[in-house]
Amino acid sequence: MGNPRFCAKLEAMEFDWDAADQRFREELQAFLAEALPGHWGEISKDGPGSEAQLSFSKAFCGKLAERGWLTQHWPAEYGGNDATPWRHAILGEEMWAIGEPRGSQYMNVNWIGPTIMQHGSAAQKALHLPRISAGDVLWCQGFSEPGAGSDLASLRTRAEREGDHYRVNGQKIWTSYCNGADYCFLLVRTEQGSQGRHGLSVLLMPMALPGVQVREIESIVGQKYFHEVFLTDVVVPATCLLGEEGGGWNVVTYSLAYERVGAARYARAALTLDAIAAHAAKTGRLSDPAIQEKLGAARAQCEAARLLAYRVIDLRANGSAPTPDTNIARIAGTSADKHVGELALEVFGFDGLEYGSEAASNFRLAMTAGVAVGATEVQLNLVASRFLGLPRA
Amino acid sequence: MEFSLNEDQRALVEAVDALLARHAGTARAIELGPSALDVVLMGAFVEAGFDRVALDLDPLAAVLAIERVARAAGAISAGASLLVWPMLKGEAAPGVTALVDPARSFLARFASDAETMLVLCGEEARELAASASAPAVESNFGFPLGRVPEEEVAAGRSLGPGSSAHLERWWRLALAAEILGSAGAALDCTVAYLTERRQFGQPIGAFQAVQHRLADCAVRLEGLRWLVYETAHQSAPREAAATTAGLAAELAGLIHRETHQLTGAIGFTHEHDLHVHTMRLKALELELGGAGAHYRALARLRWSAGA
Repeated sequence: MGNPRFCAKLEAMEFDWDAADQRFREELQAFLAEALPGHWGEISKDGPGSEAQLSFSKAFCGKLAERGWLTQHWPAEYGGNDATPWRHAILGEEMWAIGEPRGSQYMNVNWIGPTIMQHGSAAQKALHLPRISAGDVLWCQGFSEPGAGSDLASLRTRAEREGDHYRVNGQKIWTSYCNGADYCFLLVRTEQGSQGRHGLSVLLMPMALPGVQVREIESIVGQKYFHEVFLTDVVVPATCLLGEEGGGWNVVTYSLAYERVGAARYARAALTLDAIAAHAAKTGRLSDPAIQEKLGAARAQCEAARLLAYRVIDLRANGSAPTPDTNIARIAGTSADKHVGELALEVFGFDGLEYGSEAASNFRLAMTAGVAVGATEVQLNLVASRFLGLPRA
Repeated sequence: MEFSLNEDQRALVEAVDALLARHAGTARAIELGPSALDVVLMGAFVEAGFDRVALDLDPLAAVLAIERVARAAGAISAGASLLVWPMLKGEAAPGVTALVDPARSFLARFASDAETMLVLCGEEARELAASASAPAVESNFGFPLGRVPEEEVAAGRSLGPGSSAHLERWWRLALAAEILGSAGAALDCTVAYLTERRQFGQPIGAFQAVQHRLADCAVRLEGLRWLVYETAHQSAPREAAATTAGLAAELAGLIHRETHQLTGAIGFTHEHDLHVHTMRLKALELELGGAGAHYRALARLRWSAGA
């Protein structure tokens, strides 16, 4: 590591937004000022899984789709506008900054759609991509199991091939957004007796099939944030298989590379930090050097996280295959988010304990940042081996 | 947005690296001792025209060169001579340049050998007379140190209203670029050692407890890298410069602690390269008051927080 791994390109290193991107951001902000109702805070109070936000998000994504913004970075043939990844990053920043009104649909747009483009059959593309692009479908992700969390490859949910369908039995857990989801991006073991990364497959499973049972796990994070999904003799058509049977790990690796930078947490954290500083000013604490140092340190973390996310987008814009820069950006983004979440409570003090307060809401969501989508420790493992080249144990 | 280097910048980095391969490196630093100026390297830099890159190319090019010098443990006043002086004065530095922050200390890096000195002084920065001299002070933190006499500072020529803010923002950026280079070198040499050194039947670097600490260092280092480059590209706005310097100072402390802990006893010896980089990091961490001072400045600039 160490040496900047710059590509040989003629363009100058350039950290400015071009005029068209800047115009897009302004249009988007104007749209948001209009499209988000005054009681958006109330709607989003119980978290992205709540009934209130789920139904709001569906209508909201439809409006984004009408303007061609929801999947603008997708190729035109799949309902996109061939926009650069930068354009989509701007959308992500503005959405996260105000609390992600797209709800679960950022997943569809950021990684489920692109994974179907890469690995899907013509029929799967025709079925799913137009719906994702129109913003009228909800997906959830069926990866974790009671015995397979960070060690995802140890999962046991079975899918046995029986003629033109699979019979699926098993259990998924920690699943977000599956109340109301139309489909599940489901990782299963199709080769019985296989172990680890071998013998896994991805099924694009309709949630309405008989034998799919969802139960909420109540938590401190928000309403309907976590669920268990019980799969009992679910008959899934073989046409739902994504990619090759047994090739599920490759499919998932591809999708995670996209997922891990999908969330512009730094944008939300930076805005929260401004709110914390405003509160500190109002309460006369902003002149306290200790508070200044904490605010400054948190701001620097947000800025570093922003640039590391941009670095990944830059690599993608230049057609690079996924690199460990993705894991680096993820670690920096989640740790900035957590840092700011904790600082919010510290500065707001007891006022921040009130349910629905900005500090409480931020803290609750930031708490999960280092755990969701691969714990920070797993990301650190990947940075150690793939970025630093350290030997494996 | 484009994070790749342009042709000029790439050619510059290659040329700087080629010169450093001949004239710098840890072996040369150890041979010179922990508080010497490398007169030969300084001369070679000027002869190659590298002291003009901030003017002939841009501040980012100068920052890339400064980072490379620090990586190679070059004992020259790269930050002050390649970036700060040219950006403040619009001309190449006369040679070895020292930056002085007398509100905190009259000791300054390179002051004992400086042909010119810039001083932070209230609102107005000062330039000291070429004849000003600062007696050398013994130190083993990797840089020549000099104690600037108070009367020399008092006799300095003002650079005009607001010049201290300019000096400070370019200084912060140059400092961060030096930390980026030294920290990268310290981390590299630690990773290399821990990949080789075996205990309990395996390389130390294969233990997860060790890997996570190194990976955390790498994440922070890469964050600093892009922040340094962006701040340079934007010509060091005050808030961005304070942000970058704060992150850099924090990283300098972290890398010093972690690399020495993980390298063990060999890292403290003159036989191993690590100390060449880490001792400098400690000096750089303290300059301009350290992370706390940079972050307080950032808070004041961003949120109009009172002093």
